[in-house]
Order: sequence, then structure tokens, then C-alpha cells
Amino acid sequence: MADQNNTDDKGKFYSEILSPSELFAARSRSHKIPVRGQKDFFPDDSEEQKQRLEQSLNEHWSLLSEERVERLRAEAQGECSTEKMEEDKCNEGEEDEKLAEPPEAQSSADEGGSRSWWMMDVLGDSDKDSGHGSRSGSSCWDFSSISFPDLGSTSREHFRSHLAPPDPSLLPGDLKVGFCDVAPWRQKINLRQVKMSASEQKREKYRRRWDVNKNREVRRCRNWAEYQELMARRKGKREGRPAHLWNREVTPLHDPTQPIATGELLKKISVIKPTHLLEGASRLKDADDWRICFNVYQPNTVADFKKSNPGKPYSRMCVCSFDDPVPDLRAIKLLAYQSGDIPVVIAVVDYGDISFYTFKDFQLPTDVYP
Amino acid sequence: LILYNHLCDSAPLVWRMQDLRAVRAQGLVGALLGSLPRTPRQNGRLGRPLLLLPEEEGLLRERRAPARPVCLMCGCSQQDWGGAELRQKYEEEERRSFEEQSVLALEDRKSALLRAMTGADSGAASADDALRRRLQALDQNFTFPQSAMAVQLSTARAGLSYCPEARAFLQACGPTGAEPRCDARYQVFRDLRGRGFYLTSAGKFGGDFLVYPGDPLRFHAHFIAVCVSLDESVCLLDVLAVARLGSNVKKTVLLCSPGPDPGVCYTSLQWSGMI
Repeated sequence: MADQNNTDDKGKFYSEILSPSELFAARSRSHKIPVRGQKDFFPDDSEEQKQRLEQSLNEHWSLLSEERVERLRAEAQGECSTEKMEEDKCNEGEEDEKLAEPPEAQSSADEGGSRSWWMMDVLGDSDKDSGHGSRSGSSCWDFSSISFPDLGSTSREHFRSHLAPPDPSLLPGDLKVGFCDVAPWRQKINLRQVKMSASEQKREKYRRRWDVNKNREVRRCRNWAEYQELMARRKGKREGRPAHLWNREVTPLHDPTQPIATGELLKKISVIKPTHLLEGASRLKDADDWRICFNVYQPNTVADFKKSNPGKPYSRMCVCSFDDPVPDLRAIKLLAYQSGDIPVVIAVVDYGDISFYTFKDFQLPTDVYP
Repeated sequence: LILYNHLCDSAPLVWRMQDLRAVRAQGLVGALLGSLPRTPRQNGRLGRPLLLLPEEEGLLRERRAPARPVCLMCGCSQQDWGGAELRQKYEEEERRSFEEQSVLALEDRKSALLRAMTGADSGAASADDALRRRLQALDQNFTFPQSAMAVQLSTARAGLSYCPEARAFLQACGPTGAEPRCDARYQVFRDLRGRGFYLTSAGKFGGDFLVYPGDPLRFHAHFIAVCVSLDESVCLLDVLAVARLGSNVKKTVLLCSPGPDPGVCYTSLQWSGMI
């Protein structure tokens, strides 16, 4: 078709000229492209392959050599909102160690030798003439001799019908008390025998044998203050607010005893805050290396495109080569900011072959039901 | 003589049919860039010009193939356009073409009418008469408007010649005629081509070249060639990535390194299990 190369004439050096009859025939040229057959995998020098190659090549040259033939018509033809990074100064005042104030040891001012404060006269306050520490150990009770009647007991030996009146010296003033009838009191208490299984009975036995003073930690306490500290520590642990976590400068982000929805909790404890692509993009300075090259609009079958009023682009193209570096986050942010709400497509060109890539913002899902 | 030129980005482009054939005869495939005149709005099959890889251009030069880049600056192989004379010539040719096409158009119309007549059923004798009368009138009344004339937009001319304004702009960019940019790539290309393989660019496969056992029109590529110089250390993650790519497209990855002596060292990556 257009293969003749006229090198004889000056102007014809570059042209592959069609004759007028060829031009006329080209008006009714087919617009179909022949379908390419299946390729072979391995060359085997067969006649069949040779023929197919020849056919493919002929088809190839024939398509390529067709020239453009047209009708000779009359030619018609714009923040800077500085993000305040408020640093939350965690003003955690130092929580004072709330140590229980030890009750004043009353020993030193006392006459007499060393005795512990709990050995002081228990009723010393109510006794007007006893002064502070006037008696030195005289009214020391033997607590094991005080009998506390077990009114609920059903066993014969412990059963009492009435209680003896207390020593008149223990009673204030002229108060006189007679024998106390136990019966009405017993009616007020539940005397039903608790039925216990063997393991429960065993447990009960051990429980009765349990003595707080046998505990090693308790024995280490030298005074009530230390004992109170121990109790407080144990309580904290039990209730989920141990002192070593909560009585320091740095406390846990959330108190596990406080109810909170999962979503709120996740937000509360998150150290890395979620971000999105356009964050900080307005502050970026424009650079020479990455810029949007042109807009792409959809064809008229889908959208209304007019040069005077193109409408919203379908996408914006940024063209580069495979030899160029991959755009960094800064470049992607910049392009996204320049583009607005239109997706940016990066067209990477490789010797006539183009691959299109786009970067999409993505939020990691949080496993929370609203 | 193979002619090609460099446009702004110094890519070597081949425009004339004879040059395309000659390039392929040397086993160089190139890449078609243009739209096909028959059906421009598709990119399954592209048309001229043909873009040459820097390695392909290098080979042409090395083989001292009769190939010459068209130099815009010196204009030595460029014909000097005598503007007015050329335009006169063109208009004269156009007039001649128009006359010939008018004749052809009339004949075409007549044969169409004749076909209509002979194809008509026997009963329509009156229709036949009408057609015969129209045939007779045709000679007097037929007009072939100028706007309907077919003209050619020559691909080669479009690619290889420039109006003075365009020429000035292109001169500013200037052809570099540079050597192939990476020596390792060129060595590998030359070696593989010398062994009879056909090569195209493989950027979107994560490699340097796609290697075919025969003409790419008929055969699938077997290898993805990745060119690495022997003293360059390769990150293991890159090797794994390219092996993955290769297995996804069912091609073997070849690590190609030019050696100290003329020769290239090839290492293929194979996905294996441990037995």
C-alpha cells in the first residue's frame, strides 16, 4: 500500500504517498482489527510455526503501513490555620503518700517502763480520776478469760438460759443489771443447722482454725500503722487499684474499675492517633518534582463534556517514568491536596507501556460495635 | 538507510515503513507508540512511530548499521523546505487528485445504481426505468464536492519534518544521542540478542527486559531479565519480591551480570520446596 519510498524528489523523501485511487479506496476501508491467534510457547523450527510467523508479520506490516486518510472538509474547528499542638501537660500532682498517721505513741511520757500503747487502760477515758497513764499496767485484761457466750450454740454444755450480770465495777454509776434472759434473743437469731457437705465441713474446720496472726505479712507489722498499710495494700490489689500503680506520678490511662464503652476505651488508650492523607497537606510547599499534568474527563456517553464547561474531572494524571523514584508521602499529600476530591492517578510510562497507580487513604478498622 | 529521530525527551523514533522493517530484520522489536489509523480509539494494537530502547539504538550504532539519526540542528540530512515552491507543488497535486477522485466517485455511483437495477425483481419494470433515467442524468448532474475528497496525512512526514516554529522549539530541547545509560543493561541486551533472543522492556514486570525465544508476535516471553552488576549488593527482599513477581506471571527471573571477560553471568531464580 504505502510502501513505496520516493527518494527521487526533494519533498517526497519522508512521505509514503498514496495515489488518488488508493486514497479513494481508503474511504471504504474496514475498521476491524484482526484477532491475534494463540501464541506458541517454544520455537521448534517447524514449517507450521514458520508459516504462522510469516502470516503474523504480514498482518503486522499491513496494519502499520496503512496511512491516515481524511476528508478534506471545511475546517471548523486557587490556611494557614496553624495547628495548635497543645501539649497536655499532665499535671499530675504528686499524690501524697497517704500513710495512716500513727497514733501518738503514748509511751514516752508515761512513767514506768516500756509498754505498748494497746496495753493502756481501755476505759481510761471514761474514768475521770485516772489520768493519762496513771495506772501502769494494773488493769491489764486477760482477754482469753472473757467469755463470750455462743447464743446460737445447740450443744448442751454451752447452752445457757440466761446470762449473768457483769461486774458492778464495770458499770457506770448506780446502774444495776440483773440476769439476762437469753430466750427472746435466741428467737431473733436463725438457729437452723447449716447442712454442709463433707468438703464444706472440711472448709469450715480450716476456717475456724484460721488465725490472722498466723499470716507472715501480718506478723511483720510492728504496729497498727503498718498493719493498716498492709490492709490498704491488700484492698488496693483486690479492688484493682494497687498503690504502686496509682500512687505515683505516672498512673494508668484508665481505671479498670470504672465502666467504659469499648470504643471510648480504645480511644483513651491509643498512643498513636489516627490520621488521614490530607492532614498537614496545606502546609506543604509546592515542589518541582511532582505535579498534576492534566485532567481526565469521561467520554460524552457517560458525562457532558464541553470545552467551555468541562465539568468535574474523572481523575487527574501525574505522569512519570519507571526510572523516577516512587512518590514519597510528602508528594502524595501534596498531589492529593492540589487535586481536591478528585483521585490522583500516577501514570508510569515504560517505553510505550503505561501502568496506572493510585494511592488511597485507608483507615484501619477498629473492632468495636457502635 | 534507517532513519530515526529524537524528539524532546531524546527517545529514538522510527517513522517510515521501510525503516521499521529494517529494524525488525535486525531482531530488534522496539515499541509502537502511535494510534493505528484504521482504528485509533483503542490500544490493543498500536501504530507508528516505533520507539527504540536506548540499547536498541546503541546496537544499531555499534553494528554500524546504515542508520542515521535525523539531526535537527545541523539539518544535513534534512531537506531544505523552500516554502512557496512546496506549497505550489502540493496544491497542484491536490487538484490532480481531486479530478481523479471525481471520476472514480462517478463510476462508483454508476455501478451502485447498476447493482440496484440488476438486483431489482422482475415485476418492477417502472423502477428499472426510473433508475435508467437517473443513470443518464448522473453524467450531467453529478457533483463531487471538494470537501468529500480524500487526503492523506502522512505518518512519516508528520514525524520526520517540522514547520520552522516546531523546529525551533525542538532544537531548544536538543537530541542527546547519548550512550545507553546503564552499561550493565547494554551488555546484557547485546549478549542476549546475540544468542538469538528477542527483548522488550519489562518495567511493569519489575525487571529490565522481557526475553522471548522468538519473535514476540508468535511467542510468549520466557524470562524476566534483571540486570545487576557483579559488585553491586542486592537486598534479599528485592530478590524475594522479584521472584514472586516472576512466579505470578509464570516467567523465570534471570539475574544478569556482565562479567570481567566479555560474557554475561546468568542466574535463574526458581521457587523450590525442600524435599
